Amino acid sequence: MTTQALDASAGRARPAGRWLTGLGIVREAQWAAPDVRRRLQLGLACIWLLDAILQFQTFMFSKGFAQMLAGTGPGNPAVIASPINWASQIIGEHGTATNAVFALIQLAIGLGIAWRPTTRLALAGSVAWAVGVWWFGEGLGGVLNGAGSPANGAPGAVIIYALLAVLLWPAGTGTARDGKPAPFAASMATGAAAARALWLVLWGSLAYLALQPATAASGALSSMVRAMAAGQPGWLASTDNHLAAFLLHRGPGTAIVLAVVLAVIAVGVYLPGPAVRVVLVLALLTAAAIWIAEGLGGILTGGGTDPNSGPLLALLALAFWPLRVSGAAGSADPAVVADARPTVD
Amino acid sequence: MSGLSWLAYSFAALMLATSAYCLSRLAVSWRHRRPTDHQVDAVHVVMGVAMAGMLVPSLRVFWAGGWEIVFGAGAILFGWRMVSDARAKRSSGHHLQHVLACAAMVYMLAAATAAVKSASGGSAMGGMGGGPAHFSTLALVLALALFGYVVWTADRFTALAPVAALRANYAPAVALAPAAVAATQLPATAASAAASGDLRPAGQSQDEPQTRVPLSPRLAACCEIAMGVTMGYMLILML
Repeated sequence: MTTQALDASAGRARPAGRWLTGLGIVREAQWAAPDVRRRLQLGLACIWLLDAILQFQTFMFSKGFAQMLAGTGPGNPAVIASPINWASQIIGEHGTATNAVFALIQLAIGLGIAWRPTTRLALAGSVAWAVGVWWFGEGLGGVLNGAGSPANGAPGAVIIYALLAVLLWPAGTGTARDGKPAPFAASMATGAAAARALWLVLWGSLAYLALQPATAASGALSSMVRAMAAGQPGWLASTDNHLAAFLLHRGPGTAIVLAVVLAVIAVGVYLPGPAVRVVLVLALLTAAAIWIAEGLGGILTGGGTDPNSGPLLALLALAFWPLRVSGAAGSADPAVVADARPTVD
Repeated sequence: MSGLSWLAYSFAALMLATSAYCLSRLAVSWRHRRPTDHQVDAVHVVMGVAMAGMLVPSLRVFWAGGWEIVFGAGAILFGWRMVSDARAKRSSGHHLQHVLACAAMVYMLAAATAAVKSASGGSAMGGMGGGPAHFSTLALVLALALFGYVVWTADRFTALAPVAALRANYAPAVALAPAAVAATQLPATAASAAASGDLRPAGQSQDEPQTRVPLSPRLAACCEIAMGVTMGYMLILML
């Protein structure tokens, strides 16, 4: 066993699969304890794993799943809706085979992110898969048909998976692209400016959607939350029903408050260190509130395909948490951060 | 809620294969005195058989209530090991994985019993076919915890030396520095073997041949991943 440890600390890179290694995507190198970004990657892997197992539920193999997908098409432009209808027809006719493939792909993504030699491959695959599901499975999150609301997962939970894959891409280490210490984990691959811009676009779009009729119309938010209560366990159904009753006559006002909060979060990442922590705590609380309003994505009802946007928004907020970098920056292997050890400040 | 029969059979086959492999680890360990964590392998043997029986009723091999006692005892055993290691300031986190797995088994078995009482008639999931379980939120929490351990184990997979490397270096390294085991970099099985001093079979001295290397820690990790995913599936079915 001692040798195992010695091998772990002084091991040599061994190819995991030569043909994949040749592509430059698969790496197997010296193992190091996970840093902040790696932990966030593992959190993302955990959510993908949950998605995969949720996809194995009996409902997903039924016609109901295909009908659920088809329901995201109406109201979208024909160029978006037609492929959705085509895909849902195929899934309806070959429900068992297609859904088994879907579940296995998500299982492969989850385990692939967790297994270091395939982290890049799995993250790249997750981006492609997420974009496909965003279109064919979520109808672009209801952004174009006016049904999208922060309380129902808009602009599409699955697109946040892709965003996280990009921001948590294992390139760079303790330094951002400009050579300065990375201010937060999400900046290591893309640089701080690009990461903040992506944050601004996401949370800004949520603020915009909060002011649209799907959320701001009288009774819209209340009925949306009440619908989430169906089939939930007692504590969650009760919470959502109470929330819906509260929103019944306060929907438009709540939507405005929500939009302001989301806008503050959107621009908050440009604030200096101490203030940005306050904004990120606000983002975490907002993500938790949104998740409750979403009924935890319906995963406790036996019909949820994913936990919806709440946990992903929270994971994203953690990726922007300021880092305190200690030790020398830079590593020979970007997939494994060994030298620079960013820690949560 | 009941699972699809072909899926239940697939997961049951995976569990039986895992169980058989862990049984073979115990046999090889006993026959050739090669170190492994016997308690973990033994729990995996019975857990695989029990899970297969829950997935496919025709594979049940134990009386009602018996498995609850077995896995309740397992949870206590690994809980005790966790506390002992924590007191000795050794890495103890890996025992939590087995505590969780045993606790999840007790939960599923108890929920299945309750479901059978409330709704007569079997299904592909056997006793798990009576509909959503009580405390379904607990099932989700347990599933998430198990998924966390699955990705944790997968992340550490490349930290584990393959058997060939162990065979090449094991004996001299143990002889030189048995206390230098970085338990945090080992998988649950290997680390617990190291932490419990089970680095070398009973009766084997440091002068014995180098061939008695630990059984493959990577395959042990694969077993933990397979069991975690399957148990997560069973828990999700209970939502």
